[in-house]
Amino acid sequence: MDWSKENELLVIPLLLGCFAVWWLMPSAKKRPRIVGVLAGLAACIMIQGMLLPQAGDYIRSVLFFVFAAAAVISAGLMITDRNPVYSALWFALVTLSVCGLFLLNAAPFLSAATIIVYAGAIIVTFLFVIMLAQQAGTATSYDQQPIQPLMATVVGFILLGVLLFTLQEWGAIDGTSTNEHAEPRQFIAVPAEIQPNPLSQAPHDNPHEIGSLRVLGRSLFGDYLFAVEIAGTVLLIATIGAIAIAPRRAQGTL
Amino acid sequence: MTATVLESQLVVGATLFILGVVGFLTRRNLILIMLSAELMLHGVSINLTAFSRYHGNPQGQVFTIFVLTIAACEAGLALSLILSLYQRRKSLDIFLWGKLGEDDLPVFTGTPAPPITVSVDPNVDLPHLTPAGRMPKTQPGPQTKT
Repeated sequence: MDWSKENELLVIPLLLGCFAVWWLMPSAKKRPRIVGVLAGLAACIMIQGMLLPQAGDYIRSVLFFVFAAAAVISAGLMITDRNPVYSALWFALVTLSVCGLFLLNAAPFLSAATIIVYAGAIIVTFLFVIMLAQQAGTATSYDQQPIQPLMATVVGFILLGVLLFTLQEWGAIDGTSTNEHAEPRQFIAVPAEIQPNPLSQAPHDNPHEIGSLRVLGRSLFGDYLFAVEIAGTVLLIATIGAIAIAPRRAQGTL
Repeated sequence: MTATVLESQLVVGATLFILGVVGFLTRRNLILIMLSAELMLHGVSINLTAFSRYHGNPQGQVFTIFVLTIAACEAGLALSLILSLYQRRKSLDIFLWGKLGEDDLPVFTGTPAPPITVSVDPNVDLPHLTPAGRMPKTQPGPQTKT
């Protein structure tokens, strides 16, 4: 009992989130979605109290919480929506929120690249296939019946709980944190002093510079030149494979 | 001290990853399974950029670029696979592919093939190499001009 009282701040939002995802899953019986949405929002708000306040930088803090909440809520709705087209559109919203988080992490180039690759290519092609496959507009039964929703949700949230618990405990062992005034039960995972990755170059002094095209390009085409070549080869092979696997026109596309 | 707190980003990344796992396990639509895999990649990318910011070097971002590349390859291959699967069954349901046997083929009822036994006959006439120093016999055939 002692343990559960100490960790109720972590356990209760996890249970709420698990219940929300399970409740929102499509099922034979019509459940009122508002219950699941409210439970999920409560879980998000409770877990938000455990995240660290951004010291003195309120705009950045608010931006982070907005992007994070948008990403998590859209992801939850994406995996539970009955209509695959809406799921793909929720996934587009997840991508946009993640790009916002990339911007907060000083990665503007990655943010733009992710929008182009995901929103411009992947989601559009997947939407194209969904709409071609479901031309009749009939409600497909397989989207209404998930596989083992209760088991998968419980197992997934147990895994999430273990991950978050490790994040919490790890910092308590280490002692120091980026948060100088950490309250108990907050996530304090990393030491305050930034130690450079021993396998890498010296850190850049200006944190805004690490995402710039100059630094990124030098690292990509200097340190990782062979990896870039291999990635290009992988792209070429994937293109050839996709062309070979895709149905011929003689067989009729779709 | 970095302006962005690392732990919060790790929590968001872990949550996105787990939601992707749950979606991957529960959905029955082939395309939504692929989209859930992309959701997991998003969670990982958030972690990578957060650590890149934390350590102050661009390696996490470089790795995220590779993740993007592989995600694009994976999406292309998955799309062509899904298209060819859809052509066979005219449905995106994953349950139709639970059994890999083909229904229109007859069920195998015969006796299984005898096991392969290898026996070497000691009296068999094995080929010999032509002794060196003599011109080997050549087959009469079309002569090539030199």
